[in-house]
Amino acid sequence: MVGTKNKKLQTVLLYTLAIIVLIIMMYPYVYMILNSLAPWDQVDRRIIPTGLTLKSYIWLLFGGTDVMPRPWLRAFANSMIVTVSSTFLMMVTAILVAYALSKLVFKGKKTINNVIMFQMFYPSIILLIPTFILVRKLGLYDTYWGMIIPKSVSLWAIFMYTNFFKAIPNELIEAAKIDGANEIKILFKIVLPMSKSITTVIFLFLFMERWVELLWDMLVVHNQNLLTLNVMLAQMFGPYGAYPGPMYAASVILTLPILILFIIFSKNFKEGIQFVLK
Amino acid sequence: MKRRQEKLGWLFASPYLLYSLIFFVIPLFGALFLSFTNWNLISPQYENVGFLNFVKAVKSQEVRAAFFVTYKFMAMFVPIVLIGSLAISLIINSLPRFKSLFSVGYFLPYLASGVATSIVVRGILSYNSALNVWLRNTWDLNIDWLGSSTLAPLIISVMIAWKFMGYYSLILTSGLESIPTEVYEAAAIDGATGWVRFFKITLPLLYPAMFTVTILAVGLVFGIFTEPYVLTGGGPGLSTNTWQMEIYNQAFSKLNAGYGSAIAIIDSVVTFITILVVRKLLEVWGEKYGWD
Repeated sequence: MVGTKNKKLQTVLLYTLAIIVLIIMMYPYVYMILNSLAPWDQVDRRIIPTGLTLKSYIWLLFGGTDVMPRPWLRAFANSMIVTVSSTFLMMVTAILVAYALSKLVFKGKKTINNVIMFQMFYPSIILLIPTFILVRKLGLYDTYWGMIIPKSVSLWAIFMYTNFFKAIPNELIEAAKIDGANEIKILFKIVLPMSKSITTVIFLFLFMERWVELLWDMLVVHNQNLLTLNVMLAQMFGPYGAYPGPMYAASVILTLPILILFIIFSKNFKEGIQFVLK
Repeated sequence: MKRRQEKLGWLFASPYLLYSLIFFVIPLFGALFLSFTNWNLISPQYENVGFLNFVKAVKSQEVRAAFFVTYKFMAMFVPIVLIGSLAISLIINSLPRFKSLFSVGYFLPYLASGVATSIVVRGILSYNSALNVWLRNTWDLNIDWLGSSTLAPLIISVMIAWKFMGYYSLILTSGLESIPTEVYEAAAIDGATGWVRFFKITLPLLYPAMFTVTILAVGLVFGIFTEPYVLTGGGPGLSTNTWQMEIYNQAFSKLNAGYGSAIAIIDSVVTFITILVVRKLLEVWGEKYGWD
């Protein structure tokens, strides 16, 4: 009898602990949302603000009495354009290369595989300055392409897809070939549909990392109208520090799309993540 | 058939190959070339300065700071994130129900932007924040959180650990799940429970997963940029001046592209050696204590 009572107590303690940790992990998000909606004299001043107002959001979009509105909507659109195109290209190139490396027989395959491994473990910081110079020479400075093209291939995604495709039995592919399907049909009708869960995880990770990129986007774009949301927010940090409310509002706008994506895909995500972590 | 595959293979790989030629091979040689020049990113003129950039970098106070700051971050961030993610995965693993609900919750910080978290952290720690007012009124404590060269790196470490704990704990949880229950049952018969069980069974059997997480965490330290750039600007003093901050400052603020490239090359050598040493140490310890 003592044992079961102890067990019950243990379970209660365990859930209490789990919830406390959850609150700690969620606290910065909650803080951000509460302060984005708080009256300006309460921002950062109260643990839980007593009033609710949309003033910070309105200020952000339409400007205040003494401050010109910055193109926040434009910045949001820029982030979307850059992230969606970049992520799309990273996915397409990864799928094509991975299919070639895992399911096709051709000379030089092994070499390509080795080069990818080498590149993956190579500290990419060396490439930052010369890539910047190259992008400027190519005339891509201050364009969307300058942000998109240098981030159109993800070695990590290639690596993940290659490993996943290798696990798909060759018999399936052989059978399809006998039925007269060509490689492209096989890729789109058999291999990709089988890769839904891992595609979800790769897509989400690539999207998230591209969405919050700061250094590169900050370097190649100077024009206010082309800045991404993340860069604009970082630039606002110093000079606009006097307007904390709108900064929280902008943070919320920056965070929401990824949270929404994650929630939409969370079912597939759970299956896919197991593979990615192995 | 074979010839078709041959062509198709190269066709499918061509976007990647083209990309690597333009954005890997060329910049790689570009970096080596630049590091021996005094080019300032703007003027058409520059000269070859030999190893001068490297000598200058080794003597520079900022580069030395970056070198030590990295290890300081490692000393703070790696233990925090290891213990944190281990604790989280132990909690998740022992929950009878709602496992995935909690693990999704713990994972959410991974999706945050470093810029947004910096804003929140600055808000929480600002002079008149609720926390600071409470500390002043109740405990008579007046702490200059981001102005202290010990606290600023610690705050950044905790921030980044907060972001990565949920992610790393997923790796550890799958490690925990792969420990067979028979092992625990056998240990229970031998009387191993509680902490003994944890230190003698769980931790050693979790070693491969801990190894992965440690290497990931160590590698991460070398790429810290957003948080110090936004939150502290590398200060106070040079206490949060990471390699990436220093490279960025030299190349793009002070326009010393050649010198910046030399620092980047030194950084990559330091990174490579450090990760190699950490790997080796972990392997040696693992073997010594029979963890793997």
